[in-house]
Amino acid sequence: MSTMLAQMNSEELRSEIIHTWEVGQDVYLELSLFGIDISITKAVIFLWIGAAITFLIMFVGSRMLKNRPGAYQVIVEELYGFGRNSLGGLMGEEGKKWFPYTLTLFIFILVLNLIGLVPNSFPVTSSISFTLVLALLTFVLAQYQGIRSNGVGTYVAAFVPPNMPAKPIMVPFMFVIEWISELSKPLTLAMRLYANILAGHLLIFIFLSFILYAGGTNTAIGLAMPFLSVPMGLALYGFEVFVAVLQAYIFAILTQIYIELSMYKAEH
Amino acid sequence: MDPTGIFDIPNTSLIFWEVVTFAILLFLLIRYVYPPIRDMINNRQARIEEAIDEAQKTRTEAKELLDEYRRQLDEARGESRRILDESRKQAEAQRTRTKEEAREEGDRIIQRAREEIDRERESTIREIRGEVADMVVTASSRVINQKLDRGEHDRLIQESLDNLEASQRNGGNGGNGGSRAGSETESGRV
Repeated sequence: MSTMLAQMNSEELRSEIIHTWEVGQDVYLELSLFGIDISITKAVIFLWIGAAITFLIMFVGSRMLKNRPGAYQVIVEELYGFGRNSLGGLMGEEGKKWFPYTLTLFIFILVLNLIGLVPNSFPVTSSISFTLVLALLTFVLAQYQGIRSNGVGTYVAAFVPPNMPAKPIMVPFMFVIEWISELSKPLTLAMRLYANILAGHLLIFIFLSFILYAGGTNTAIGLAMPFLSVPMGLALYGFEVFVAVLQAYIFAILTQIYIELSMYKAEH
Repeated sequence: MDPTGIFDIPNTSLIFWEVVTFAILLFLLIRYVYPPIRDMINNRQARIEEAIDEAQKTRTEAKELLDEYRRQLDEARGESRRILDESRKQAEAQRTRTKEEAREEGDRIIQRAREEIDRERESTIREIRGEVADMVVTASSRVINQKLDRGEHDRLIQESLDNLEASQRNGGNGGNGGSRAGSETESGRV
């Protein structure tokens, strides 16, 4: 970014701002499976780095357990305790069996969110493909658990509230409405994480790009910009750390709630 | 696919590797990581619960022991007070008895001394009487120069002395306050 804004057109500026996502698609190794492109891209590399860090943090923690825990062990145990006590069993004891899944999801997304904040990395969770797959996984697991806990008939019937008036019209109507609501769950889940992380990163880059106005034709703006651009960029960066934790938590806890809602569908 | 990568649907490579990676990660964590952490936490929890139970038991025992000791102490205190009271009472009784005995002994001694004095006085009076009678007879016989009949003399003297004594008793006995004072006047008079 050696050029000044005055010398850039808007297309160049736009490409500077979304540079991160463009290079995310850089292919390091061309691969394909049954005609489907599965090349190793920068995004995939950072996906692996995130998974490796997630695994190592927990694995190393689990191999050096002592009776008198140190700080590191406390963190690992607290993470596990958070999964067991805060994520699992929100609606009933039986829901606790899903916490290993949601806890893994939480740590994985948290690590990906945080390494996405490292300069020159790629924020994997700002990819709609990534978040949608996890959300659809949640959806599939919720349906599976709902059918397993209630039986197919009860589970499907539970989508329509009992004691409806004007049954011939209202029952199909409510069924469709409820299914739209059910299908919107993974969609909103995916969009929430994707949009939050993407918007956060974009905002940081947009504010940082204001520095390009420094020393421009307009002297007043040119002088003011460094004092606006960098502090705002920093402030948003700090806010993004908070968002990274919050969104990971929201994704994990909503996944757990959706699964448990299906589990106890017939009781509500 | 969006060339900017901002709305990358479908990013097949990322989706494929995501599913594979996440499945492996899930497997590894659930299989190898969570169980030891869970066991460690559960073990520690069990140990802590055990320790708390133990502490509670010890506390209860200590409390019981303390109560027992307190009770014993109270008992001992009461016992000692009782013993003290009793011994004080006994000492008091002993003192009273000793005082009583001492007074009785003193009275007895005084009584005996008084009797002794009376006896001594009687015998002294008797002796003096005899002596006086002899002296009177001797003096009288010397004065009148004639030998009187000894028996007659004795009788006369005895009679006059008796008279004297009787008159004295009639006249002097009214002022006598106590036995001791009386005996002093008598002995002084004799």
